[in-house]
Amino acid sequence: MREVTGIVLENREIARGIYSLTFSAGEEISVRPGQFCMIGVQGFPLRRPIAICRAEGERITLCYRVNGNGTRTLAEGCKAGEKVSALLPLGNGFFVQEGEKKVAVVGGGVGIFPLISAIRAYCDEKEIYAYMGFRGRDALCLEYEMRRGKELVIATDDGSVGYHGTAVQAFMEDFDRVRPDVVLSCGPTPMLRALKSAMQGRNVPVYVSLEERMGCGIGACLVCVCDRTNGAHARVCKDGPVFEMNDVVL
Amino acid sequence: MADLSVNVCGVSLKNPVIPASGTFGFGREFDEIYDISCLGGVATKGLTLKPRLGNPVPRIAERSGVILNAVGLQNPGVEAFIAHDLAWLSQKTRVLANVAGSTLEDYGEICARLDGLVDFVELNISCPNVRSGGMALGIKAENVKEVTRLAKDNLKKTPLIVKLSPNVESIANNARAAEEGGADCLSLVNTFTGLAIDIERRRPILANNTGGVSGAGIKPIAVRMVYEASHAVNIPVIGMGGIACGEDAIEFMMAGAAAVQVGTQNFTDTLACPKIIEGMNAWCDRHGVKNITEIVGAATFNKPAAK
Ligand SMILES: Cc1cc2nc3c(=O)[nH]c(=O)nc-3n(C[C@H](O)[C@H](O)[C@H](O)COP(=O)(O)OP(=O)(O)OC[C@H]3O[C@@H](n4cnc5c(N)ncnc54)[C@H](O)[C@@H]3O)c2cc1C
Ligand SMILES: Cc1cc2nc3c(=O)[nH]c(=O)nc-3n(C[C@H](O)[C@H](O)[C@H](O)COP(=O)(O)O)c2cc1C
Ligand code: FES
Repeated sequence: MREVTGIVLENREIARGIYSLTFSAGEEISVRPGQFCMIGVQGFPLRRPIAICRAEGERITLCYRVNGNGTRTLAEGCKAGEKVSALLPLGNGFFVQEGEKKVAVVGGGVGIFPLISAIRAYCDEKEIYAYMGFRGRDALCLEYEMRRGKELVIATDDGSVGYHGTAVQAFMEDFDRVRPDVVLSCGPTPMLRALKSAMQGRNVPVYVSLEERMGCGIGACLVCVCDRTNGAHARVCKDGPVFEMNDVVL
Repeated sequence: MADLSVNVCGVSLKNPVIPASGTFGFGREFDEIYDISCLGGVATKGLTLKPRLGNPVPRIAERSGVILNAVGLQNPGVEAFIAHDLAWLSQKTRVLANVAGSTLEDYGEICARLDGLVDFVELNISCPNVRSGGMALGIKAENVKEVTRLAKDNLKKTPLIVKLSPNVESIANNARAAEEGGADCLSLVNTFTGLAIDIERRRPILANNTGGVSGAGIKPIAVRMVYEASHAVNIPVIGMGGIACGEDAIEFMMAGAAAVQVGTQNFTDTLACPKIIEGMNAWCDRHGVKNITEIVGAATFNKPAAK
């Protein structure tokens, strides 16, 4: 967990409304897949939580969709050579056990970005089956990163590329053939709910990365809580963002 | 290198900079980023007698220069704090235990429990209260005096800070009411009640509908209130509201604050507090100020012009 002033190396649009921001953190940052960064936006009091898509030594890459004012300002205003304030790496990240060989990765929307870090981290030692959902052709990006695994199914809502339907539907059609040992997922809540009900009774551990609005990003302010199934609260930023799916209320 | 140390109610602080309640937990997470023993003190997350789960999410929203929060006093309860965090925090820095109650009696009980264990008790009287029909005790001057007196009766050793709500008719009257009730010190401002609506969804952003507004945008109002409160009483005042740099902290002290607290800026920059300490020191050096206490209340105000 470090507070750094990074230097922007590149910030460019890689698909409609999706940007890739690479900065040098000024020091080597060791990152686990699924961890995230709080990135400062000039003039905004709150930093934005964005998954660390790629970390190579000092070079950190975040991929983000322009959503509201902060991400728009980041997309338009943050140029190569400028400074960015960043707090990283944050959260627990994905963790695949020794004995788990076949890993299914199911993502949708901006949830694909933390999953790309998992594919990168595990593609050499595990068999990765990726199911990635996009709105349509326009939104498709970073296909070469997703191809690092054993298999990739791209699903689009409009059928313009690949499987016509959701990533969860594509995954469930393949389930009996693939028989994964573990499932990693990130995406909009309706997608996670669909995955949860589809995985009921199948006895395969599912890990989901959750999204919640954040203040501090380090576990101090209790702004970002989610409900555990046992009734307690967990902090998404510190106890998560990755949880065992049955452990949290979606 | 100026002398930044201050003395508040007989307790010495190595500098006047204290992270504000609710933005810093009990200090452990920030201590993973920098050694928090450099701080003047730490105001803890608001403590209640029993653990509280707080409000549903979303608990935070953002508007130009400000944020709104409605955490709803989630905390593990005063006993868990005493058992797990107090000893650790006390060996780091001065501890301001921020406390809240849902009944008047709660305030007395929690003060009695913390008496002699912490450096200060800071009374949060801005939270909705059963006794006053859900309205905060901090709004009416007579309630401020009553809750202060009850807290003070239960504190034989630890000095009492009353944290004033800004959502009031007259901050000077409430400051005097707290002083009359026996407060040793005041702190202000707590957050201003606000509302943010998502116009696409036609719904409030916060699950709680309304939330407390804090951050840079409230600073001029907070400075004015610190000025009015500190000129109304003879006890020290701790100022806060939108402090983001050393100069902001100096401004509060010139308005009359003996020390300052920093909240929202800890979110913008986790190193905010150490940077503010450094900034105050640099300002003092540039202006030949040897001792920070020289600037407390040092602004000269204009006499109201005769009409
Ligand atoms: C752990 C984590 C990882 C994430 N990773 C990515 C990623 O890799 N790529 C990506 O495009 N997005 C990611 N998101 C979502 C991203 O944080 C939001 O899209 C972004 O904060 C929206 O900011 P804004 O300025 O566009 O919106 P505004 O409406 O201006 O934001 C106002 C406030 O609400 C918060 N907020 C709004 N929407 C969300 C949201 N969906 N989740 C969390 N906070 C929100 C903002 O952070 C800000 O504090 C992630 C979220 C989390 C919690
Ligand atoms: C997320 C959050 C939680 C807070 N929780 C508390 C609290 O538990 N008790 C309290 O007295 N004040 C609480 N506050 C108010 C702050 O301590 C402070 O009075 C206010 O934020 C103004 O300072 P600032 O503008 O520097 O943030 C909270 C503020 C924020 C932003
Ligand atoms: S954002 Fe502060 S605790 Fe998670």
